[in-house]
Amino acid sequence: MQLETVRIQLTEADTHIALFRDVANVGALYGRLIAKNPEFEYAFIDASTIVSPLHLLSAIFRAYICYATGKLQTNNIHSEIVLSLSPNNNINESYRRWGPTPGKTKDMIVVKVVPDNVSEPRPTADGIRAHLAQHIDGRSVPFSDEEIRKSTDRSKVTKYYKLKCPTLDNLKDPAQREREEERLVIMGMALREL
Amino acid sequence: MAAASEPEPEFPLPQVLTYPASTPPLLITQGAEGRLYKSVHVLSNRPCALKYRPSKAWRHPVLDARLTKARMSSEAKVLDRCRREGVPVPAVYAMDAVAGWMMLEWIDGVPVRAAINGWLGERPETEPTPDETVDPAPLAGLMRRIGAAIGGLHRVGVVHGDLTTSNMMLRPWADANTEGGGGGGGGGGHGDQSKLLDGDVVIIDFGLATQSSSDEDRAVDIYVLERAFASTHPRAEKFFDYVLEAYGESFKKAPSVLKKLADVRMRGRKRSMLG
Amino acid sequence: MDGSSKKRRIALGCEGSANKLGIGVIAHNPSTGEATVLSNHHRAYFVRIAKQALADAGVAIADIDCICYTRGPGMGGPLTSVAIGARTLALLWGKELVGVNHCVGHIEMGRAITGATNPVVLYVSGGNTQVIAYAEQRYRIFGEALDIAVGNCLDRFARTLEISNDPAPGYNIEQLAKKGKVLLDLPYAVKGMDCSFSGILARADELAAQMKAGGKTLDGETFTPADLCFSLQETVFAMLVEITERAMAHVGSKQVLIVGGVGCNERLQEMMGGMAAERGGSVYATDERFCIDNGIMIAHAGLLAYETGSKTPLEESTCTQRFRTDEVFVKWRN
Repeated sequence: MQLETVRIQLTEADTHIALFRDVANVGALYGRLIAKNPEFEYAFIDASTIVSPLHLLSAIFRAYICYATGKLQTNNIHSEIVLSLSPNNNINESYRRWGPTPGKTKDMIVVKVVPDNVSEPRPTADGIRAHLAQHIDGRSVPFSDEEIRKSTDRSKVTKYYKLKCPTLDNLKDPAQREREEERLVIMGMALREL
Repeated sequence: MAAASEPEPEFPLPQVLTYPASTPPLLITQGAEGRLYKSVHVLSNRPCALKYRPSKAWRHPVLDARLTKARMSSEAKVLDRCRREGVPVPAVYAMDAVAGWMMLEWIDGVPVRAAINGWLGERPETEPTPDETVDPAPLAGLMRRIGAAIGGLHRVGVVHGDLTTSNMMLRPWADANTEGGGGGGGGGGHGDQSKLLDGDVVIIDFGLATQSSSDEDRAVDIYVLERAFASTHPRAEKFFDYVLEAYGESFKKAPSVLKKLADVRMRGRKRSMLG
Repeated sequence: MDGSSKKRRIALGCEGSANKLGIGVIAHNPSTGEATVLSNHHRAYFVRIAKQALADAGVAIADIDCICYTRGPGMGGPLTSVAIGARTLALLWGKELVGVNHCVGHIEMGRAITGATNPVVLYVSGGNTQVIAYAEQRYRIFGEALDIAVGNCLDRFARTLEISNDPAPGYNIEQLAKKGKVLLDLPYAVKGMDCSFSGILARADELAAQMKAGGKTLDGETFTPADLCFSLQETVFAMLVEITERAMAHVGSKQVLIVGGVGCNERLQEMMGGMAAERGGSVYATDERFCIDNGIMIAHAGLLAYETGSKTPLEESTCTQRFRTDEVFVKWRN
């Protein structure tokens, strides 16, 4: 199973991320999430709503800053990541849109942020990998630009981030268009509370 | 957003910049509104400009918080509008309006001010330039791009409020396809004189911008630049006509703005005041 | 010309741009450039106070080099009266006339009193709100109020609250504001280095009317006249300090000089001081003897001009209600 561990700039935390394709037990995972099972302290994200790794990492960065400065609007840093993906402040809507939906979500991203100051025993990459391998019934693929883009539902993203705008209409080159789309998505998240 | 200035006295960093990064934050400018740092957003190869409005201890805390938040928000909204309407401005990467900071896309290149001064060279102020020995076409071209850039801004209903050649970046054309890239560092030192004025004009620093479509506001916007240009680049003053020419062609209502500009110039910047 | 043969140069200054007349006598030491205030009077009758000023200064008519008067800006009536008075004295005593810009008078007196060398000047009075900095022989206006002056705003609000005019409405607002606690939400109107006050006044008036009708704030608190004065001061002074700071950043100066009647306000001085300290600089303010309009400042600025060869021929000794600070060619500075 592939688990990516990154140090996001300006955070004091390890961020572990895995991408699973065709997850068969979304319903069971969703149930544990709803039950706030402490063993399942992860952010589960419907991969079809994500345009690139940078998109998700930007949301994690934001959630981390909220966590570090005591400004969480949700229960913990993992639910905050889901809210941080939204361009508005509606928490329930953010869970519905970016969280997993039984029967609908196919590809799923799992994130675990382990701040440097958490008390021991500190979750390790190996521990997380083992735990995810045991509980997620899906095919592990690299958390890469290429793989993420295969999962992206463009019409959903366009709707959620209100991407219909002259800037994108006028960009003909697909690579440039994708880059600009990513920027506008990140900007939408940054301007959430305005 | 060119090279950093001399190491100024140590200012307390915004909390967000106290967390570890591959490159330490670098103070770029210290203005009245706040400070501009170079830092990184999320990835080590993704440079950003962090704009920080520290709270002002002399102001009532309630008023201070209200103003900081309102201004950050208004600046971000203006940038969002431009960015969606196809006007090249820095994208907002992240922000905390309450804490008073905003992370912006790092724009490569040098301020237009430095590019023009570099191109004019270090000749004494009195010497009239550019003369026959220098091909004026590159400067005329840049001035036209400036006019078009302002026209783009005005077309989408944004008035900048503080147009100067320091608030415009000249982004090299070659880098158009690589996001972020090396970022900053160099300043105007390209050897090739003919290429000094190449690049896209990207307007920056929207701290005083407002959303308005009135001829008056637009004309004052241009008038502010006209005056700033005359005092910053006295030897290139006659080139300002190219800005106006290109502006006039940039959107439907531009000609009526230029008509209004004549009024604004006539009455001077300000009316007289009573004692 | 006769100045070189004497130990010092002396000017009589006549100021009357608004509802007060002031006559003062100043002496400049030509070798040190030092200015000495010989007398400074405010009263109601021109001749009587001119005589009184000279008597207090211990100066004979023969000692006077020039008669300086406020050429503007100001209110038409007072300006005309003072110009007539000054012309009369000049003819009577055979002295040269020097017309002086009222704002430049404030600036030069402020510089002389405080020792600020090249400050950004905030000029705040009942008629003026300007942020000024010197560049190339002129006091250039970087920012100003686009509608009413800040002093006018405060005075009119004092009237709304029926606050006494004694000793001055602004002073009474300042005292009342010290007891204020609740910061009420007033519009904040700064645009670049300019600002406006009429919207704030209108809102403050509205709140005052609500208060009288027993109204409460959004948080359900009652508020008092003191709270209103406090909120008004906090808001308009924050605006003034902000535009001053912007001008300082623009010209790269670390000194601020506050002149004009509103400059007496200690809260304004305190806020300005805080701002200047944050920028590693300092604030210079004069006390009320020089903050309010006075004859000395006219004498001082007039004498500076006179010493560099400026005088106003009798036939040109007009006055004008509109006279911008940046119209004056400042020959006496580098």
